[in-house]
Amino acid sequence: MILVIAEQRDGKLNRATWETIVGAQQLAKASGAPITVLVPGTHAAGVGAELAAAQVAEVVTVEHAALEPYTPDGFTAALQAVIGQLSPAHVLLPHTYQTRDFAPKLAARLDRALVTDVTAIKTVGSDTAFVRPMFQGKLTADIVPQGPGPHFITFQIGAYRVDQVAKGAAAAPVRALEVAVDAAAIRQKPEAPFQQARQAVDLSQAERIVSVGRGIKEQTNIALAQQLAEALGAEIAASRPICDAGWLPMERQVGSSGQTVAPKLYLALGISGAIQHLVGMKGANTVVAINKDPDAPIFEIADYGIVGDLFEIVPAMIAALKA
Amino acid sequence: MAVVAFWLLFVAFVGAFAGQVARRVQLIAIAPNTFSFDNLGFRVNRFLVDVVFQARTIRERPIAGIAHAFVFWGFVAFGGYTLTEFLRGLGIVDLTHTTWFTAYRLALTPFAVAVLGGILFLLIRRAFVRPVGLGTKVSIESIVIALFIATLMVTYLLTFRMEEGTMAEQVNWWVHMLVILAFMALIPASKHFHLVVSPITVLLKSPELGNLPNLDFEKEQVGLETVKDLGSKSVLDAFTCVECGRCQVNCPAWGAGKELNPKTIILQTKDALLAGGRDRKLGEIYSEKVLWQCTTCGACENQCPVGIEHLPVLIGSRRGLVSNGDAPDYLGAMYNNLERRSNIWGLGYDQRTKFVQSSGLETFDAAKHDVLVWLGCAGSFDADFQKSLRSLFAILRAKEVRFGVLAKERCNGDPAKRTGNEYMFQELANGNIEDLKASGVKKILTSCPHCVKTIGDDYRKFGYEVEIVHTSVYVEELLRQSSAALSGPRETVTYHDPCYLGRYAGKVDEPRNLLTRFGADIVEPERNRDNPYCCGAGGGLLFADKEEEPGTRISDVRFKQLQATGANTVVTACPFCSIMLKGAQASAQADTQFVDLMTYVNGKLQPRA
Repeated sequence: MILVIAEQRDGKLNRATWETIVGAQQLAKASGAPITVLVPGTHAAGVGAELAAAQVAEVVTVEHAALEPYTPDGFTAALQAVIGQLSPAHVLLPHTYQTRDFAPKLAARLDRALVTDVTAIKTVGSDTAFVRPMFQGKLTADIVPQGPGPHFITFQIGAYRVDQVAKGAAAAPVRALEVAVDAAAIRQKPEAPFQQARQAVDLSQAERIVSVGRGIKEQTNIALAQQLAEALGAEIAASRPICDAGWLPMERQVGSSGQTVAPKLYLALGISGAIQHLVGMKGANTVVAINKDPDAPIFEIADYGIVGDLFEIVPAMIAALKA
Repeated sequence: MAVVAFWLLFVAFVGAFAGQVARRVQLIAIAPNTFSFDNLGFRVNRFLVDVVFQARTIRERPIAGIAHAFVFWGFVAFGGYTLTEFLRGLGIVDLTHTTWFTAYRLALTPFAVAVLGGILFLLIRRAFVRPVGLGTKVSIESIVIALFIATLMVTYLLTFRMEEGTMAEQVNWWVHMLVILAFMALIPASKHFHLVVSPITVLLKSPELGNLPNLDFEKEQVGLETVKDLGSKSVLDAFTCVECGRCQVNCPAWGAGKELNPKTIILQTKDALLAGGRDRKLGEIYSEKVLWQCTTCGACENQCPVGIEHLPVLIGSRRGLVSNGDAPDYLGAMYNNLERRSNIWGLGYDQRTKFVQSSGLETFDAAKHDVLVWLGCAGSFDADFQKSLRSLFAILRAKEVRFGVLAKERCNGDPAKRTGNEYMFQELANGNIEDLKASGVKKILTSCPHCVKTIGDDYRKFGYEVEIVHTSVYVEELLRQSSAALSGPRETVTYHDPCYLGRYAGKVDEPRNLLTRFGADIVEPERNRDNPYCCGAGGGLLFADKEEEPGTRISDVRFKQLQATGANTVVTACPFCSIMLKGAQASAQADTQFVDLMTYVNGKLQPRA
């Protein structure tokens, strides 16, 4: 049996759990083992119902006051008890900060193998091997965990795509499991979770960004970029001078003195590409630049460059997108 | 009877003086020793120029400076007179009737007039003109001291109008002597203590601007955390400060409306030392926020007439904060970049390789090449600055200079060093030193003034000596014969001195010579040559350019100063100045052109179409 440990906080599921279920489904295909998803915490029921949509054998919730807020001692004790009851062959977890905190402790407590930050599963001869990066990603290793089960496997965030999860014909059964946890044995006293000062606009999560620079010339022309952003389903952003001029709010500034973004598509309109701007968007997958100046530094890092007048090109793009 | 009374007064006042001095000497003595007399020739020379000839006092404020020089020279001249009168008053020996004293006394009259004129001028300036650097409220103590000095001169001059032995003469003598005694008792606790200590402080000031000895991790040195960590020179500095405010008015952070005021830092040090509490955290005394506002431009330290070194305290305290994990977020990101990618941008070195290949650069070989060109973080990654380097390469090739580059560079470590991340600095520096040593290079050429300072000065502290020259200096010499062919109209430009070139390296004439020779008429901006106004990038602040900071951006202030020259072209000689000022220009939506010095020169060298 494959046990997936879901992660949630205050009833909100961490989406990386879905990725781990995809990994479990791939592992199950090879071994034919049934999948059980375990939801620990005080708000487990709702999350359990949500996860029951996946093609799994069952969903088990463990509600216990000692599990929220999270403590490594509470989790280790509860999960040790659950694993004792269910005796899985594999325990799969998303490689989140929380997992990084308790999984080594749990594996060591049970004296079982733990493979972390796994990006893929493959078959090597008759064995199932787990692929993980080494030496800061310079090499990858195929690891076959040794010794008695369960083997603990944590999956790198993004190793599997959420949209590849197989959904069941009907919702999987959800049952609650009782475990005993000695709350007095928990040594950690967690404080309220750290809240980073929240930006009104979080561009770092945007999948597509249309970003404007001085080439936009007039404040009224921002509307044109906004239309393109709407057509693309993109967020609008800008380089420093645009925000300094108040044409767009400061929280939409990308660069060393603004936000750092990593969208799949970054469309730079009339941005010359000063290095302080580039360092804020260097993580973008695909950069498309439109600029009149063929020597603009933005073309050094653009995947697609269009040398020309954005006031001709952008309306044509909008028209094409709407067609 | 009079002698006994004078003795009693003498013992009381001198005792008060000595007691206060002893307290300060003791605080210096228990501080970690940072005194040094290395490079003694330079120190003696600076002593002559700055103390004896008062050059640094006069340079920035000529009228007040000359008034001060009059008072200072007068004080020195009166030394023998005062001593002789004390010997007489104490009944030890009366030399006042010797011929030499009569002549000496007479010779003092012009000095007395100069002192009187000087001190009255300074008194009026302080009490009524009240320049901003002197503080917001008038110091009563300074007024008293000024009146004391005036009284001394008046009582001296009155002796020529009085018969010896008369009542008036006696009273006059006693007034003169009592003022001297009261003066002595007053000075140790006041800014007038500089009279006693500033000559020593100037002599002990490091010949190197912004001298930051390496931390020794073997000895578990982590920088300045508490009052007791302050070095002996910093303690002496605190007691030397004359509160003239030259550091304040020249500080770009203060000028842009930030909280940092270098004078306040020194006075806070003094107060903290005298208050005891040696375990108080410096981050609390100065406030952490203030410590992160320094661009390390060096203006405070360089303009100080009494030998104070601000940077060891500011950066030393940053070291203490970084050692405790208290660096601001933007620095955390930069440190990550330095750690993972060895450059400030966090970009991959394939970009540098791409530039090296597309520019046809060879890997440095000591047998084949004359100089090594150090690209630096900007040259390796900033496409805009790479245009300047291509211009440099064209000039070098035209003059058949054989040059190469290292196969791999790391950041020289300047942003780590000057933000107090000494550990990271040493990691980067040691790696680079190893590569530079292995290359066998004797002479390095770079367009980045920060690299000049760090590789030139800071690497020497690891025992690595190499000649490193800024391209403006090298190319100026290289092209001495090349200007004859030039024709065409002259162009009006303004030149922005980078702090690390103009102030730190003192290279102010070479860039100007190049520009003038190649057809430029330079209009100087406010704050130029060896006292430029910072662009705002130094000390890790390149990445701190946030809106929520108080005041305006330093780069905006500087850009306005450059704009005010009326020149439409600004020539820069540092990649970081260029980045900052171009940012300010873009935000101001101004049409000012920026051009790097090398691009300017190369452009003029190209045959006209």
